[in-house]
Amino acid sequence: MLLDYDRLGWLRAALAGFTALITAFLLLPVVFIVLLSFGSSRWLAFPPPGWTLKWYQELLADPAWVEAALTSAKIAAMAAILAVLIGLLASFSLVRGEFRGRQLLRGLLLTPMVLPVVVFAIAIYAFFLRIGLAGTTIGFVIAHTILALPFAIIPIATALEGFDKSIEDAAIVCGASPLQARLRITLPSIRIGIFSAAIFSFLASWDEVVVAIFMASPTLQTLPVKIWGSLRADLSPVVAAASSLLVGLTLCLMIVTALLRRRLSR
Amino acid sequence: MQAHSLSRGSIAGLPAGSGGALPALVLVGLFFVVPVVALLLRSVTDPEPGLQNYAALFGSGTYVRVFLNTFLVAAVVTVVTIVVAFPVAWMLAIMPPALGSVVFGIIILSMWTNLLTRTYAWMVLLQRTGVINRALMGLGVIHEPLPLINNLTGVTIGMVYIMLPFMILPLVGTLRAIDPMTLRAAALCGASPSQAFRRILLPLSLPGIAAGGLMVFVMSLGYFVTPALLGGTSNMMLAEMIAQTVQSLLNWGLGSAAAFVLLAVTMVLYAIQLRMVGARRLAGGL
Repeated sequence: MLLDYDRLGWLRAALAGFTALITAFLLLPVVFIVLLSFGSSRWLAFPPPGWTLKWYQELLADPAWVEAALTSAKIAAMAAILAVLIGLLASFSLVRGEFRGRQLLRGLLLTPMVLPVVVFAIAIYAFFLRIGLAGTTIGFVIAHTILALPFAIIPIATALEGFDKSIEDAAIVCGASPLQARLRITLPSIRIGIFSAAIFSFLASWDEVVVAIFMASPTLQTLPVKIWGSLRADLSPVVAAASSLLVGLTLCLMIVTALLRRRLSR
Repeated sequence: MQAHSLSRGSIAGLPAGSGGALPALVLVGLFFVVPVVALLLRSVTDPEPGLQNYAALFGSGTYVRVFLNTFLVAAVVTVVTIVVAFPVAWMLAIMPPALGSVVFGIIILSMWTNLLTRTYAWMVLLQRTGVINRALMGLGVIHEPLPLINNLTGVTIGMVYIMLPFMILPLVGTLRAIDPMTLRAAALCGASPSQAFRRILLPLSLPGIAAGGLMVFVMSLGYFVTPALLGGTSNMMLAEMIAQTVQSLLNWGLGSAAAFVLLAVTMVLYAIQLRMVGARRLAGGL
């Protein structure tokens, strides 16, 4: 009875009420920050005394913010491409390979997701200081690719596990080379996994703060580093404007994901 | 067997099918394993060989307090997250999909929104003069603003907010996998709703609760951003202490030793979790 929606009785009202409350709790900061970014109060009074676009103007007029966003986009795009390519190759081994230590390898490749990121951050920072990659774009991309790799491997490997390998074999029997079969049969079949991998690994880099704080230099800042710096200094409404744009981007990504998934799964 | 021989991508000298993992292995080996191992070695070699960094770490009241506080925060966050997530997951598992997808959408939106954005929102909301204090005062619930930020309360609210999706989403899966018939049978046999809950629903969802709870605990232990922004100086957590020791104090030996402690605890808990659910289910939270 407890798992029958129609026969829960008073419990259903209680559960529904609580769920509504928690949903509101989850939505609250997101909506709040967007409203705040249009408020005219420099001291973040809420409800705001008036509405304005001046924080967005201030944001877009500041080359430091724009440059930080571009740097973030560039690094995240490169990290996502690398993570998807390397993750795709690795997934084939992890799912189909028959060798000793396969589980161990899977564990190793997924570890960057579990290890506290601060440990990795100071480790890679020390390492890059020694080999001269600290504060460089290449260093940033390498570090973020490592953090993004598990987020690329998991969806691709899951999709590959759900793909019937005999279809690929059939193509080979019909005369395709193994490579052709993979490129033209298998890859299109697991495209949803590849697509999710691209989104997740992009976000893993785009939103990454901790490694970025260590890696950043005065001339190389990503958007999260810029926000972090502003938060430590003061709670300027310009940060609210930047944050709202990030919320908008998240919404776009969600919509694109939903649409593409629907189209691809047809 | 034939299917296997058709498509194995064996490279000379490597075991069958392992070649594709080579780039990943090189990348992770060179830029993950080597730096982490080098860091751990530094904890026993910097400034001179020996265990003095660990002695300093466990011998000082300040650092021991950081350890205790880290475990306290992680435990409180985990318990609160479980208690809040369970009813929501329960409702989501059984409610009509049309309505449920709205709730799922909001959960995903919250989870995908930039971490700093969410934390920033809580910083403003929880301020002394923030919306929450004003609303409570306006309603006459309190007369003085509550200290909601720069303390354990602030960290707990901010962390629970971040962890909730990681608990709710896997729990929905666990609850959906339970056959409603078992509970109908219990009711037919005369079990009261509370008996059915305690003796059937809760035990059957326990693996999901344990796995999710462990994941939340592990993630909370090493969390840096939210405690640093919402917590106070008197209740610093381990991750922030490590970052500060290295970045501000430039004490690499001590920072590395603290990092090793965090890493060891995390890996032990991670191994327990892998035992419990297997690597694949672990990823279900994504």
